[in-house]
Amino acid sequence: MANSFPEEVLEHVFSFVKTDRDRNTISLVCKSWYALERWCRRKIFIGNCYAVSPRVLIRRFPEVRSVSMKGKPHFADFNLVPPGWGGYVYPWILAMSEAYPWLEELRLKRMVVSDESLELISKSFKNFRVLVLSSCDGFTTDGLAAIAANCRNLRELDLRECDIEDRRGNWLCHFPESCTSLVSLNFACLDGEVSFSALERLVSRCTNLRTLRLNHAVPLDKLPSLLARAPQLIDVGTGVFSADFRPDIYSKLAGAFGSCRGLKSMSGLWEVAPAYVPAIYSICTGLTSLNLSYASIQSAELIKLVSQCRNLQRLWVLDYIEDRGLEAISESCKDLQELRVFPSEPFDVDQNVPLTEQGLVSVSEGCPKLESVLYFCRQMSNAALITVARNRPNMTRFRLCIIEPRTPDYLTFQPLDEGFGAVVEHCKDLRRLSLSGLLTDRVFEYIGAHAKKLEMLSVAFAGDSDLGLHHVLSGCKSLRKLEIRDCPFGDKALLANAGKLETMRSLWMSSCSVSFGACKLLGQKMRRLNVEVIDESGTPDSRRDDLPVERLYAYRTVAGPRFDSPDFVWMIDDDSSAFRQLA
Amino acid sequence: MGRPSHSSSSSIDSSSHPNYSVCSSSSASSKRDLSTDLRLGLSISSSNSSRDHEQPDWPPIKRSLRNTLAEKGSNNNGNRPTFYVKVYLEGIPIGRKLDLFAHHGYVKLIRTLSHMFLTTIIYPGVDRVHSDHEDYHVLTYEDKEGDWMMVGDVPWNMFLTTVKRLKITRSNQC
Repeated sequence: MANSFPEEVLEHVFSFVKTDRDRNTISLVCKSWYALERWCRRKIFIGNCYAVSPRVLIRRFPEVRSVSMKGKPHFADFNLVPPGWGGYVYPWILAMSEAYPWLEELRLKRMVVSDESLELISKSFKNFRVLVLSSCDGFTTDGLAAIAANCRNLRELDLRECDIEDRRGNWLCHFPESCTSLVSLNFACLDGEVSFSALERLVSRCTNLRTLRLNHAVPLDKLPSLLARAPQLIDVGTGVFSADFRPDIYSKLAGAFGSCRGLKSMSGLWEVAPAYVPAIYSICTGLTSLNLSYASIQSAELIKLVSQCRNLQRLWVLDYIEDRGLEAISESCKDLQELRVFPSEPFDVDQNVPLTEQGLVSVSEGCPKLESVLYFCRQMSNAALITVARNRPNMTRFRLCIIEPRTPDYLTFQPLDEGFGAVVEHCKDLRRLSLSGLLTDRVFEYIGAHAKKLEMLSVAFAGDSDLGLHHVLSGCKSLRKLEIRDCPFGDKALLANAGKLETMRSLWMSSCSVSFGACKLLGQKMRRLNVEVIDESGTPDSRRDDLPVERLYAYRTVAGPRFDSPDFVWMIDDDSSAFRQLA
Repeated sequence: MGRPSHSSSSSIDSSSHPNYSVCSSSSASSKRDLSTDLRLGLSISSSNSSRDHEQPDWPPIKRSLRNTLAEKGSNNNGNRPTFYVKVYLEGIPIGRKLDLFAHHGYVKLIRTLSHMFLTTIIYPGVDRVHSDHEDYHVLTYEDKEGDWMMVGDVPWNMFLTTVKRLKITRSNQC
């Protein structure tokens, strides 16, 4: 039957299949489908830039228009990966500049992006439209200037959480006067000032601009004129949101927000001054997404603001919201799907914020659509976790961080095994889980037994023995990413489940009990696995096999060992017992 | 404002000081004290001694938010609104300055002042189960009208709109 359709028809049918997984399945049906599918695949997602090489990608998919790629391990977000580890995008850009002249989109996460790469992008791809850089570093505003100057059809320039060296504020001036194509511009993570007149002109002429996220350096009194030029915005990130109170600024601001009738998303709000907050009340009912994680305002003002956002689906907020604020949300925000609560004083052990497990319980009771939670707090109980799990069986992402490691149930002084056990038992569709608090191997037994759809698990300061890791690796069928720090997991569980690692994207273990010898064995045994020991304290020659390594990063790959690793990354070679160390 | 190291402040909290954390009923209060003690015992036994200073990799917060919060914590942030009032301890002629906007409620304020003046301070709303302490103080404030009031008698936000300065006085004189 596969051969009964003309190729054009099949290709047209395939074009309706969007997800990567389904496209992969199509290519497994038969040789002719494989051949046809690879020619019409336009979008590619690469979850680990070392899992495949540019050569393999280009050989298999010759007509790609859009590439999403990730580099460093997730724990790099929290400073667990030493600088210089790798994740360089340049070799990819170089290869794609030859093979994909019609590339339109690049979405990179946790990659090292040099100015050279950005220049090459800006000059190689004639129809380049979308550049999204998330948590990337290694570049400066000079590279951004090249993108602005040369990408004539640029629709999106989205810089999220990037570490960018600010060389000059006038990179925005490099957008030519003819550039009117921008739909999305986000430079919230930049430190320095931008040229305000260039920004104003750019915003004026890009009449399709929907997203504009400013950085901290844009003062509040400049915001009204920007908003007035772009009443069609649906997503706005403000700059600093404080100034000495002046009624004229306030009324301009309130008027400007009032004219942006389509606003659905708001962020920024750095150093927000309470007196100016009512200026945004008029847009509250339209908001579906609100990021207040930089807004240090007190509970009462937060409650007043958030209670008016009745259609909110996503809320990020500091713990100033307090339990009573979360209770107010549970009463007014019935569509809430995602909640993140960050600690206002994460380094202060004594900090006593009136935000406890109770706030989480309230939201789980009042918000039936809640499915994604990231919650930092200082006390938790099994009873609360069990209640949350029963209230929200639809939870798909649950990340709890009790700030002091190994904190037990504050009521019973028991480990939190039962609480997290209830979460994995009741939330059948759970895909992502982060554990914290005092936990024994028992919690991993629950996870292995129940969390059948779990794809990513983060563990810190937990477990008693190898058994914990064994339960997870042998039980979680869908696990793709496992990251562990400061747990007493070691060789036995790792080697016994080595085969499992080839079904996963990656495993990270730092400050655990994995020996150098076990890492070598793993590298030899598993040919499709790259095993990296990341260790800054010595050399592989001097390391005894029975001593633990600082960090182990193992990932499956079809590309073989990488060639760009620094001295402190010891690549375990898979065809000899020797390691390889390449400069 | 010098902040004492966490280890020393913890020991003050759990031994010589009543715990001001949250509770108002005496049974809940004593339970809270117990939990604090136990938690401290655990954190010592679990060899977590490096908490005196910021750990670069814990808690897991992304770079930009982490930096913003760290800046705020160290009060380097020139643009953040501040609200300084003077605080006097009875019998000592020199006052000290305190940023009320850096506090988010009475609990934190009392805690800071207890550390600052190394004394026990009580305020309404906290039960006086610990009143066997000989030398505890109460906190009073001068309001807009120039009247001296007990701190804690109005909600925190209302307090912020009316307070002019603070005075810590001996409890037996009030």
